[in-house]
Amino acid sequence: MSNLFRRFSFYLALAGLLFAGRLVIQLAAEPPPSPPPHPPAVNPYARAIAAAGLVEAQGENIALGVPAPGVVTGVLVSAWESVKAGQPLLLLDDRELRAQLVSQRAAVDVAEATLERLRGQLARLEQVTDERAIPREEVATRRSDVRVAEAQLAAARAGVEQTELLLDRLVVRAPVDATVLQVNTRPGEYAAPGAANPPLLLGDLTKLQVRADVDEQIAPRVRPGMRATGYLKGASERPIELEFVRIEPFVVPKKSLTGGSAERVDTRVLQIIYRFPPLEEGSVYVGQQIDLYLED
Amino acid sequence: MIRIALKMLFGDRAKYVMLISGITFATLLMAQGMSLFCGLMTWTFSTLRNVSAPVWVADPMVEQVGDNLPLRDTDTDRVRSVEGVAWAVPLYQGNLQARLADGTSKLVTLVGLDAATLIGAPADLLAGRIDDLRMPNTVILDEYGVERFSAGRERPIGVGDVFEINDREARIVAICRVHRSFTGGPYVFTTYDRATQYAPNVRKMLSYVLASPRDGVSAEVLARRITGETGLRAFTESELMWSTIWWYIRNTGIPINVGTIVIIGFIIGAAISGQTFYSFVLENTRHFAALRAMGASSGELSAMLLVQALVVGFIGFGVGLGAVAFLGTNLLRLGRVPFLMLWQVPAIVAGAVMLIVMISAALGINRIARLEPAIVFR
Repeated sequence: MSNLFRRFSFYLALAGLLFAGRLVIQLAAEPPPSPPPHPPAVNPYARAIAAAGLVEAQGENIALGVPAPGVVTGVLVSAWESVKAGQPLLLLDDRELRAQLVSQRAAVDVAEATLERLRGQLARLEQVTDERAIPREEVATRRSDVRVAEAQLAAARAGVEQTELLLDRLVVRAPVDATVLQVNTRPGEYAAPGAANPPLLLGDLTKLQVRADVDEQIAPRVRPGMRATGYLKGASERPIELEFVRIEPFVVPKKSLTGGSAERVDTRVLQIIYRFPPLEEGSVYVGQQIDLYLED
Repeated sequence: MIRIALKMLFGDRAKYVMLISGITFATLLMAQGMSLFCGLMTWTFSTLRNVSAPVWVADPMVEQVGDNLPLRDTDTDRVRSVEGVAWAVPLYQGNLQARLADGTSKLVTLVGLDAATLIGAPADLLAGRIDDLRMPNTVILDEYGVERFSAGRERPIGVGDVFEINDREARIVAICRVHRSFTGGPYVFTTYDRATQYAPNVRKMLSYVLASPRDGVSAEVLARRITGETGLRAFTESELMWSTIWWYIRNTGIPINVGTIVIIGFIIGAAISGQTFYSFVLENTRHFAALRAMGASSGELSAMLLVQALVVGFIGFGVGLGAVAFLGTNLLRLGRVPFLMLWQVPAIVAGAVMLIVMISAALGINRIARLEPAIVFR
């Protein structure tokens, strides 16, 4: 009896120990750290300066401006379209100037008619050869009247020409050969000079460049001509060798991506320009973020 | 001799049970208290366990993983510029209010992962795909969040359902299983950029920079180097873990409360078993005296007592630990209960039980040593 009891308590204790041991092992088993879902871009150099870059068109992107505020009546291009220098891109509402032109053209007609009349009168007077019949002053006055009318006609024509030039100004043209990167306006929208959001964004896509921001705290390590490798966001498996172009001479406040109006600047960044090697079409886009490593 | 000792011990069953239960109770109290403490402490650095990275870089004033003293965005590039860093990515961490469709709001721990690599994303997904996090307004909710957010719903919240964080839509694309946080808020994972939009706009948002050393560079060396070169504070994973634990030990009453339970367990155990063992010895004085009269030396009698005490200690400890393990298993099944039995817990408790047992045995030996054989005739 005592033996049975002894055995029971012994086995109970043993079972307790084993159970606890199993729990300890079970709880201690941490799953191994899982690998990153996507491999990160690894620094390719032994020593490097890291920078955050933004892809832009060569010679920077052109945020097209309009010469005068007005309603857009026509957008003649679309994104990805190549445009030549001088090609019309946008039409602004020109009815006011056209209205002006109607009256100005009429004024030209009036001036022409007046001139014709005065010239006719002068011609008739000049045909009279008898000096006694017409006083000298009369002829002189008529001549000067003709000259005044001529000047008035020229002025009226200049007015028309001016309005035509002003009308032409309302056709916004491409300043250089470029590609349309972004169309921000539609017919009927209002465009004003100096607006924060430009109606059209142009850029020369034949060559792309990167504007790399280096924190001013590590900027002293930057030297001109540093080799650089870039990794586009989300394309860490594809390093891109970049060609040094220049260091911008002016250190600017860092542009934050949030763009909030209450943002305060806390860092200034040194900007370095790098050029892309020739790339296959559609592999890099203007405005993309790129992580750069500059060899130190 | 030893057989006689065991016979003597098991002879009186009531006394035996009393002896065992003292030790069992002490083991139970101490082991349960310590496991609770370990469990609570692991909750304090859940973010660290859920988002795994070799090196964590933070503001110099950060002492524990829950601190949120943000860095500047460009600090990621400063860390990347340190020699020996293979990669570095930003991490956002913050406690925010989530608003559910029925208008109730719940605290959540929002974690923003680097959008390009999703480093630190939970590995254990119960539903959905991790890459869906790249879609707009998407988040990953943890299992515990499903439980909390589903109250009052016809069917549990799941993939495709929507809630709000700061008036912005958060669409669930996956459900994950992660360690729960100390603050009790479910974990919500999203990308870093989106996290900064969900969070109220402050000047700086970057909670941590996660970094990894190159092959051949240890995390410790790298952490020291980052600290030296950038002036930020870099921790290895275990440094941040211990820093967090010590912060909680210094700044909260948890260790005192749990320590009290453990000490009470020890005292009660020692008192009960010491007393019971002593009275057991007293009751068996006649037997010991008889043995002494038969020529047993003091040493042999002491050995007998020691064996008896050790057996009691072993059985009591085993039963007690088994009870704790049983309790713990069931508590863990309930969820939301801090319980972690590290191997150190049974080891320390075993040491304490050994001490109790030795004290009890010493009391008995002290009694037996002064024993006169003549007592058997009294």
